[in-house]
Amino acid sequence: MTETPNARPPADAHAPEGGEKIIEMAGLNKWFGDFHVLKDVDMSVNRGEVVVVIGPSGSGKSTLIRCINRLEEHQEGSITVDGTRLTDDVRNIDQIRRETGMVFQQFNLFPHLTVIDNVTLAPIRVRKWKRSKAEERAMYFLEKVGIPEQAKKYPGQLSGGQQQRVAIARALTMEPKVMLFDEPTSALDPEVIGEVLEVMVTLAKEGMTMVVVTHEMGFAREVGDRVIFMDAGQIVEVGPPEHFFENPQHERTRGFLSKIL
Amino acid sequence: MSMSTGMIQDRPPPPRERGPVAWARRNLFRGPVNTVVSLIVGYLVVAAVVGLVRWALDSPAWTQVWDNLKLLAAYRYPSDLLWRPIFAVGTILALMGIGAGAARRRGEGEIAGGVFWWFFGLVAVIAVVALLYWPSVRLPWTLAALAPLAALWLGRTVPAAGRLLGWLWPLGLIFVVFLLVGVGGDGPFRVVRTVEWGGFLLTLVLASVGIVVSFPLGVALALGRRSDLPVIKWFCIAVIELVRGAPLITWLFIASLMVPLLLNTSPDTVPALARALVAVTLFSAAYMAENVRGGLQGVPGGQGEAARALGLSGWQSMRLIVLPQALRSVIPAIVGQSIGLFKDTSLVFIVGLFDFFEIGRRVIPSQPASLQYTGGVLLELSVFMAIVYAFFAYRMSVASRQLEKRLGVGER
Repeated sequence: MTETPNARPPADAHAPEGGEKIIEMAGLNKWFGDFHVLKDVDMSVNRGEVVVVIGPSGSGKSTLIRCINRLEEHQEGSITVDGTRLTDDVRNIDQIRRETGMVFQQFNLFPHLTVIDNVTLAPIRVRKWKRSKAEERAMYFLEKVGIPEQAKKYPGQLSGGQQQRVAIARALTMEPKVMLFDEPTSALDPEVIGEVLEVMVTLAKEGMTMVVVTHEMGFAREVGDRVIFMDAGQIVEVGPPEHFFENPQHERTRGFLSKIL
Repeated sequence: MSMSTGMIQDRPPPPRERGPVAWARRNLFRGPVNTVVSLIVGYLVVAAVVGLVRWALDSPAWTQVWDNLKLLAAYRYPSDLLWRPIFAVGTILALMGIGAGAARRRGEGEIAGGVFWWFFGLVAVIAVVALLYWPSVRLPWTLAALAPLAALWLGRTVPAAGRLLGWLWPLGLIFVVFLLVGVGGDGPFRVVRTVEWGGFLLTLVLASVGIVVSFPLGVALALGRRSDLPVIKWFCIAVIELVRGAPLITWLFIASLMVPLLLNTSPDTVPALARALVAVTLFSAAYMAENVRGGLQGVPGGQGEAARALGLSGWQSMRLIVLPQALRSVIPAIVGQSIGLFKDTSLVFIVGLFDFFEIGRRVIPSQPASLQYTGGVLLELSVFMAIVYAFFAYRMSVASRQLEKRLGVGER
């Protein structure tokens, strides 16, 4: 091992050959003002894959997945989601957003709408479904996340874990091809983290394509196909979880894992 | 010695004395300072109320209010055509009645019902007084009170009436404009020019048009101020800051002088009422815009992000997610601004309009000189005007609180 912290890392996180690539990023660079937050990121995700992104705070992992649905705009490089190239064209952006569901750290449920209205809003307004169909699908997914009885309540009346499960149902009802999770359990009380992870594990096992930014290493081990470690805006190391956790190659990866495990 | 490791049983809270005596002891006479303050304030309140009642009963000059009621209500609006503004009141009340009835059908009519019954009560009282004392407007006022009751029943029993409200309101308002302005000819539908309008009629027209138009205008200005397009952004900032930068009186003057100049017509082409409306509405809209902007800034950025991530367009996410939350949080400020506008309409005398307040002021010097120095006339009219203003302003404020409570459902 002659790896030094400043050496150019193998910043290539391409999906295994043979799969159908649903997300492709090449030469991605992004700056916040003068701060270089994403550096030469190359990454792709196969359909049905579960990719877990870990790394210290400020490493750019949230920014990375927020670039996928254009909540953040990248300055260099290319992103293609399900064959649609992410450009300034609003139609392309809307197309990609329809096909990617996102779950946020702070849930971001709409507090002025009931649970069922939160879930059916986008299907009715964006997919142009009839209300009856939207509500039927919404109830299906609310049952899937285990809280159909809360449909008529407002988000403020629910616990954090329940709110996050509603947020997952809200994203799923749009029937997206990819689900993005941005630290979904970081704002939750410890005793309710399990109920949210359980839903995510079920999703992963059903074959949903997922990109998950998280600190839950147990989740990464159980259902992750690949783990990506990011530090200082770069992808430092990529590998299947068993290899990644048992035998990390890079100094920075080892340092990070020793702090959190 | 008890070594119980079981859970501690729930115990009831310590008893608390009930009843008015205990309440007074707790709230009014707790400690010497509290007691002294309570006694002094109590004395002042009683003295003020007794003085007020005694003055109100003794004062002979209430007749000045009574005798000038027609002027205070409608100024020079032709006496034989008074049924038209009365029907206008009845029309608007009837529309409110359909709305209240329809809301009741859906089981959510507290606010609409409250506003309706309050206005209905006012009209009903006037109708009773008219039946007793004012033969010339007996019929119109009776109809203006009865039609809304029928409308309420209609809204409550016929589902279609509630669904058509979106059409009925604009149609009703157009009808009201025709009622007030007239159509033509020499008969009962002859045109009444706005210079003949005045009194409370004028105040209501100014305030309601001002409030109804300045609200959407204010929202538009607030959204424009946050726009990404520099031209729109700077234009909105300029309008807001410029309008807020000068007193309303200034804008009334400017509107009065500039509008004819800009349109390159003689001052008579654009009625003073229209000029005043433009000034009042723009002025209120600028303040409204800043209120709304405050609300927009209070909505967490994650709300818009979540909406966009679901595929909603920028406009949809603003209209369905961000704006409703922003407006809800600034209801008190918006209603406060509306109440302010309602009272500020009393400044339109500057451009030669005779609104409610101005008539009250004008009526006074027309009384015999002997009365002016007895202190009676000025006071009675002022008190009457204050009561009327406060009556309406208070109802707006009640509706605001009800609205806040209702929209706060489910929020922690």
